[in-house]
Amino acid sequence: MSNSWIEDQYGADVAQLAADYKSKKFGRRAFLGKLTAVGFSVGAAATILAACGSNSSDSGTADTTASGDTVATDSAPKVGGMLREGYPRDVSKHDPITTNWYDPAFSAIYETIVTDGLDGDTVPQFAAAYEVSADGLTYTFDIPEGRVSHSGGVMGANQVAELLQIIKDTSFIGGVSTVPMEGYSVEGNKVILKMKNAWLGALNPHKTGYWALANVDTWKAAGGSDPKSTYGTDTADGTGPFTHEEWVPGSHTLVKRWDAYPGSNTPYVTNTGAAYLDAVRWSVITEGGQRATMLENGELDTLLGPSYADLERLKSNSDLTVIQHPEWSGYQLSMNRDYPEFFGDKLTRQGLSHALNRQGMVDAILFGNGDVTYGPFPKTDRQYEPKVESYNQFDVALAKSNLAEAGWVAGSDGVLERDGVRFEFEYVVEDETTQKLVSEAVAQQFKEVGVIAKLRVVDRAVAFENQSGVGREAAPMALFFWLWPVPLDILVIFGSSETIPVPNFSHAVEPSIDAAITQWRLAGTPEAGIAASSNFQLEWADTLPYLPLMNQYATFVHHNYVKNWAPFVWNLYPLYNDVWLDQ
Amino acid sequence: MNLLRRARKNKQLVSGSILATVIVLLGVVGPWLLGDYTDQDLLLGHLPPMTSGYLLGSDALGRDIAARVVVGIRISLIVAISVTVIAVVVGTAIGLVAGYIKGAVDSMISLVVDFIWGFPLILVAVLAAASIGSGLLPVILAVGLVNTVAIARVVRGEVLGLSEKEFVVAARAGGYSTMRILTRHLLPNIMPVVLVLSSYYVAVGIIAEASLSFVGLGAQPPLPSLGQMVSEGRNYMRLNHWESTVPGIVIFVMVLSVSLIGDGLRDLLDPRLRTAVERASSK
Repeated sequence: MSNSWIEDQYGADVAQLAADYKSKKFGRRAFLGKLTAVGFSVGAAATILAACGSNSSDSGTADTTASGDTVATDSAPKVGGMLREGYPRDVSKHDPITTNWYDPAFSAIYETIVTDGLDGDTVPQFAAAYEVSADGLTYTFDIPEGRVSHSGGVMGANQVAELLQIIKDTSFIGGVSTVPMEGYSVEGNKVILKMKNAWLGALNPHKTGYWALANVDTWKAAGGSDPKSTYGTDTADGTGPFTHEEWVPGSHTLVKRWDAYPGSNTPYVTNTGAAYLDAVRWSVITEGGQRATMLENGELDTLLGPSYADLERLKSNSDLTVIQHPEWSGYQLSMNRDYPEFFGDKLTRQGLSHALNRQGMVDAILFGNGDVTYGPFPKTDRQYEPKVESYNQFDVALAKSNLAEAGWVAGSDGVLERDGVRFEFEYVVEDETTQKLVSEAVAQQFKEVGVIAKLRVVDRAVAFENQSGVGREAAPMALFFWLWPVPLDILVIFGSSETIPVPNFSHAVEPSIDAAITQWRLAGTPEAGIAASSNFQLEWADTLPYLPLMNQYATFVHHNYVKNWAPFVWNLYPLYNDVWLDQ
Repeated sequence: MNLLRRARKNKQLVSGSILATVIVLLGVVGPWLLGDYTDQDLLLGHLPPMTSGYLLGSDALGRDIAARVVVGIRISLIVAISVTVIAVVVGTAIGLVAGYIKGAVDSMISLVVDFIWGFPLILVAVLAAASIGSGLLPVILAVGLVNTVAIARVVRGEVLGLSEKEFVVAARAGGYSTMRILTRHLLPNIMPVVLVLSSYYVAVGIIAEASLSFVGLGAQPPLPSLGQMVSEGRNYMRLNHWESTVPGIVIFVMVLSVSLIGDGLRDLLDPRLRTAVERASSK
């Protein structure tokens, strides 16, 4: 992102501040201080900070938009009221260990041991402090004395270490993404994480909802990993500022203020006691247009992910504030290698990739609120490798020549055939507006090079079931959407040969990608991390275990009377302890 | 007054038939005239009607709404006619047997009919989709099944009344077989009711197909159906409402035409009503 983008979005004064910060006239904290002093919330300040630092290219991704997320800094916070949020997905169970997705309620019910700072660094959350040994092999987290969870259960170092070890050993995401970790132990009030080797990525998973600190005793008593466990549905026991009250799939989630909350250790959370709000309610409203209308009508106070078709109207509403920043997410197409007749050879996969007009899809479907992806990472990631852009460009002539070179010839009806096999397969997609549109656009573009992708639209659970089958039980092709604050950590598990069939939905075994993953797991310095990340992206863009398509911008909208509701670029969801209603 | 002359004078029947003819022509000939409904131009999304090259505008992917609507009409007609044929043939047969034979057979058939009648259409459609997969077939089966029992109930009631009439008693006394009595004596007498009902159930079929497509059961993309187009377009209501309103208007016109025909047929074929109307008009 560029300084001109900052000027467009926030005005000349802020652009000048940003220029001074970039020329090192003052430091990061001073910059943030100056921004908040002129009325920007921490979320908006963090977005501006990210715009200054995440990408130096002046011609890069200047197509993010955001409005000035100003707050009335002179008002005293008011206690009370319920925040009503519109949420675009069905709710996931509030169990960090067994869930395969985490929702904003996790940010209210739970704390993580560390979290993201405003510029993407790591800051304490539940831990009072943490330190890393000089050799990078030991991480020490100071657990505050006397902390309890919502149920009153003890949350000391022993409980935290036991829970983290269970997460590492058993969770959906833990095993593969934590290979360099040896395990957790306890010394006094400290939790010690020992590493097999120094690893740059050790703290990343700890910042996510999958590592949220639940009371391990409550979790085990409710059933632990047993599918019949009631943890996360009937009960959830965290240390965050709100307690789990209602969890109704297809309808809503409700949390209420925990009056005994002692305050956060996170430096930018200003409220050092219990939350201001009485409650937060997330309503499941899957239609983007309906969410926007309900917000405008006053039936909601905030919403996540409005339809991009409504965005300009919402931005022009002086009662509302729109916050937008790049999202750590992506749309990718799996190609099941157990259908080698279709996807077994790289040339065919590359031919399919060249047939896709990614920019056209971003413009038509996301109204420009996103970026094309030629490799696995979104452009705004700090480790984004721009060389991936030499791959997978839209070029129908090249697509056709690749497919012809791979041995495909057009049959009498124009559909390609090879060795008596017609290039026609089933393509599974979740019944969700954007994913359906992307899939229809993709299928039509395939058709133009003689490939028939027959769409089958199914609900989310069936889509996952169809993606995750063994061998040819999994669909030949499926679209999926990932959302994760550190792309490399999640994409490793989609691309590793260790994770076939789930979540390596393509069942792809690419030795060069496995080698890049190993390189990443051994990366103990930023330089080594960047080299591994670069290799990973280039190998992905070349061998195409999946077809990368695009990523979208995270968009949040709130009424101006909602104060300090400040999602920022490094977090998926806002924190709720500072939020209050000026009504 | 012969039937044809009375039909010509029936304004509802005439106007409904004209509308229906136009719709059927659009559904049959339109897809050939308006080109490939899957053609997309990602740069030309959300165009309003009467834009050059896009008579009824374009959708989110720059596809011609007119080309998609005529395919949607075809799909809707295929589903509505299929379910009505199934419902009329099977429902009439079941109703005839239950109403004439009575006894245990009637009790058993009525039990099954009432059992199925108790299920909402959407649930039957979901169950059908879960067992045989999504697409048009489960929609046809689900709507066909529900409409079948609806027609069976009405036919049974009519036959129960007719079976005690003198002409049926006489036929029975004359030694005619049950099949002959059902097909030669009872069926012709319930045909006006069945015809009127069938026009009503064509309309029900159109609405049911649109409703099920609206909620994602039915035609699979990129095959367009009218309900699915209304559903997709509602995301852009304030940007280009035509993406929803055009298929919505088409559904309305289709149902209106069939309803007009049904009302016209009822006036024409129902002797009780006709007598009443003629008596009223002669005063």
